[in-house]
Amino acid sequence: MGLSNVVGDLSLEMEVDAFRRLFPLRFYERHLSESIRPDGRTLKSARDTSVALGAVASADGSALTKIGSTTMLAAAKMEVMTPSADAPDEGSIDCCFVAVEYYMPSICSPLVRPGRPAEIAPVISKQLYDTILSSGMIDLKELSLISGKAAWMVYLDIYCLDADGALFDAALLSAVAAFSHLRFPVVSLNDEGRLVMVPEEGNGDKSGKEVVNKEKRKLSLSSPPFSLTCALHKNYILADPTSEEEAVMETFVTVVLNSSGHLVSLYKPGGPVLTQTSVIQDCIALTRQRMKEVQEILDESISGMEID
Amino acid sequence: MAGKASATPATYSPSPATRKGKPTIYKDGDRDWVRPDGRGFQQCRPAFFRTGAVNAASGSAYAEIGNTQVIVSVFGPRESKKAMMYSDVGRLNCNVSCTTFSTPIRGQDFDQGSDHKEYSSMLHKALEGAIILESFPKTTVDVFALVLESGGSDLPVIISCASLALADAGIMMYDLVASVSMSSLGSDLVIDPISEEESYQDGSLIISCMPSRYEVTQLTITGEWSTNKINEAMQVCLDACGKLGKIMRSCLKEATSATSE
Repeated sequence: MGLSNVVGDLSLEMEVDAFRRLFPLRFYERHLSESIRPDGRTLKSARDTSVALGAVASADGSALTKIGSTTMLAAAKMEVMTPSADAPDEGSIDCCFVAVEYYMPSICSPLVRPGRPAEIAPVISKQLYDTILSSGMIDLKELSLISGKAAWMVYLDIYCLDADGALFDAALLSAVAAFSHLRFPVVSLNDEGRLVMVPEEGNGDKSGKEVVNKEKRKLSLSSPPFSLTCALHKNYILADPTSEEEAVMETFVTVVLNSSGHLVSLYKPGGPVLTQTSVIQDCIALTRQRMKEVQEILDESISGMEID
Repeated sequence: MAGKASATPATYSPSPATRKGKPTIYKDGDRDWVRPDGRGFQQCRPAFFRTGAVNAASGSAYAEIGNTQVIVSVFGPRESKKAMMYSDVGRLNCNVSCTTFSTPIRGQDFDQGSDHKEYSSMLHKALEGAIILESFPKTTVDVFALVLESGGSDLPVIISCASLALADAGIMMYDLVASVSMSSLGSDLVIDPISEEESYQDGSLIISCMPSRYEVTQLTITGEWSTNKINEAMQVCLDACGKLGKIMRSCLKEATSATSE
């Protein structure tokens, strides 16, 4: 009690920035009791979000997404592979047509140093991979080129360019955006039995090679997943935490819903706050709201691209 | 490493990558060849710089020159590693890495990890002379670069971008460092080459200089050059560095006037 009194006295005369750095928890609790956050948001609102498609020219599908200042760059590249014999038209669980990798290069955060990769990166990688596959967003049959002989393998690489909290949410959004921007390259069979890209000018007829995939040029995404991370502190629920908030609070709940509103996954990695059903329900309700917002933003950028 | 299960079968890219049988971009004796992007021999690509690309860093910059896109973050000055000996002057630590999609074929330039050791040390050498290391004793400044897309002349773009990021972080420097490269193709010299031109070059020259002091921090020449050609190339590059420096300077001015308003 003695300490908290001292802190209380100090806070009257100390500069705000100094107080914020010395007593981050007190600083936040003061804000929370007024139902406002240091960046001016209410507890349950997310940060400004933007999606830009086609950010990487060399990729077959790419997207740059920003949630507040958290920035993710996702790029998908297509390669050709021979599917396994027991599942000629779609990937089995352990040998799939989609590979997802999440990177945290040292430019994104002062905590990541070269040679010592961030611990959280492989965790988010796995979470993304599981979410994308289990949501059923991609129909793996669509990736088949010649049944049993050749199929597309999608390599999705997501780079975190600026880490400021809610990394999984931003990464998932960029993954979904990159998939919706994905266009298959036009390929034809060459003499060696390998598939080769046909140049854009359409002189595929000149060489007499038949184009293998004339119609299937893009993935038809069915009900893509969207997520929202909430930080829990005492009785407060904070949607879309920044990295500063993530450092202060210890309990997080990540809810993933698909666009038809079904629950895809729910992730609560430990933390001292034990959650009740009502808290989980609140988180899900917040995610449902957020999903609509995000989907609108994504649809807008997709339609904006089609006009061009 | 998720998704990259050991069972992942071998895949290949469908893009026609092999240069075999493809004619070179110029013919010997043909004086009228045109560069793939239609530029003049001594014409640089349009340059775009922006500071403050990464909020989490003390300073950062984004550079886009033609198709080459680079982000550089600067952290510090911060505590040196525990194992480091005491030092009166500050340390500079540089690291360059590439994204998997920076090259046309995924992971083409990958050896161990995505770090580019050669570029890292060259970046260090190019910047070292321009930074007033005495201004941050005992501490380290980290300069990390990520090549988002490699479209040729990558190292000069990284160097120029890094010096902007250092300025954005408020690290004391004698001057900005502007860097430009030149390729020798047969009897011709082309400035600011793109990847395709670099793959045919007989020699290259990279010059990094501090434009307002007219001092060179790094000069790298590879391949076969005659003295006359080196003189000519250096003159043209120094000229271009001066112009690039002006663009970088105006970017910094813009950034400060935007924040002070």
